[in-house]
Amino acid sequence: MIDVHNLSKSFGKLEVLKNIDVKVCEKEVVVLIGASGSGKSTLLRCLNFLEVAERGEIIIDSEKVDLEKTNLNKVREKVGMVFQHFNLFPHKTVLENIIEAPMFVRKETKETAYAKATALLKKVGLEDKANYYPEQLSGGQKQRVAIARALAMEPKVMLFDEPTSALDPELVGEVLQVMKDLAREGMTMVIVTHEMGFAKEVADRVIMLADGNIIEEGHPSEIFVHPKHERTQRFLNQVL
Amino acid sequence: MVFIENIISIFSEHGIAFLKAAWMTIAITAISLLFAMVIGVIFAGFKISSSKILNRIADIYIGIIRGTPLIVQIMFLYYGLANIVNLDSFTAGALALGVHTGAYIAEIFRGAVQSIDRGQMEAARSLGMPYSLAMRRIIFPQAFKRAIPSLANQFIIGLKDSSLVAYIAVTDLYNTALSVQGENYMPFETYFVVGIYYLIIVLIFTWFANRIENRMDVSKPKEVRLA
Repeated sequence: MIDVHNLSKSFGKLEVLKNIDVKVCEKEVVVLIGASGSGKSTLLRCLNFLEVAERGEIIIDSEKVDLEKTNLNKVREKVGMVFQHFNLFPHKTVLENIIEAPMFVRKETKETAYAKATALLKKVGLEDKANYYPEQLSGGQKQRVAIARALAMEPKVMLFDEPTSALDPELVGEVLQVMKDLAREGMTMVIVTHEMGFAKEVADRVIMLADGNIIEEGHPSEIFVHPKHERTQRFLNQVL
Repeated sequence: MVFIENIISIFSEHGIAFLKAAWMTIAITAISLLFAMVIGVIFAGFKISSSKILNRIADIYIGIIRGTPLIVQIMFLYYGLANIVNLDSFTAGALALGVHTGAYIAEIFRGAVQSIDRGQMEAARSLGMPYSLAMRRIIFPQAFKRAIPSLANQFIIGLKDSSLVAYIAVTDLYNTALSVQGENYMPFETYFVVGIYYLIIVLIFTWFANRIENRMDVSKPKEVRLA
């Protein structure tokens, strides 16, 4: 589904990603872990071209993305993204947030977009909030709307950039639950998170990044129980 | 009580003239502000644009307008350019006011657009929206709402600044006050009356601006009429 070769990215002189190779299969749930500054968010943002890598190759849905030729908007339609700070559109209601891109990008009719949005809101347990503005929702509710908004484009992959890091502790569970449901339904997901319990339970594969390199990867039962790399051990000791 | 009598006499003798003048003030302000909004949007776009040339053009325009007095701009356009383009006083006045206010509105719009959180553009783009669509549907509406208070303020300044077109013989409120007090030698009462006219126009405008801002309130659920 996603195939990354030799990806490198710098911000000025700082090399954030160094020759990264990652493969994500269909229906796979991959969790990226690592200390802050390890490059995990940058890697995620490279996958939908919010950051553009200087070198390397990215293949999405068996299509090689060429920055000159490929229409990135079309690629982004296939790659949904959920942000740490939700980034809901504050001037639009919950429903309007969800139908915006389906109506104006996919040119769906209002009826189709409405029906889909209503179903998605039901799925994330917020059907009664359709006509609320984001400002009136709790953090957990906002993030669930953001997930519904991304799903409305019927993406093939969902990227999550620390989706629960900005939430009050008691609101984390409701968002993780929605993500678990999605994983169970077979959605391909790449997740940056510090929720190790969630990673253990849901991930098919955990990738540990440090200083822009992938230093270890494997099934959560291996990585969390028998981390091979010394830095992984240190990192896990700090967060667990 | 002489004051009251004088006021009444001004109203009975010049009431119609002041009303016509008020209309003239409103008309020249409205046209100039409409023009200023168009200029403002265009030059805000120039400033936000990634093109260095467009940035520079906008900087030069805004620099010149902000760096010179409005009265000089009005006189320059009407008398200074008389040999090149012969504008009537109303057109020259409206044009000068529009070009002047446009520079300030461009800065207001630019500031408002740049104050919108970067995450809004990222979220829109991540949904597959092209840059222009994201700007139009996501960034501009939020920026416009944020700009309303400064915009209303700039409009009020524009209305009051329109009094300067009296110097190129537009018969606006201020010009009428000048000629009335030249006739009746009652500067206190005459300027008092004209002040009241300006004040009333500004208050009505402020009321409308507040209404528009309140209509964009997002702290309550949207009332949806079921079709």
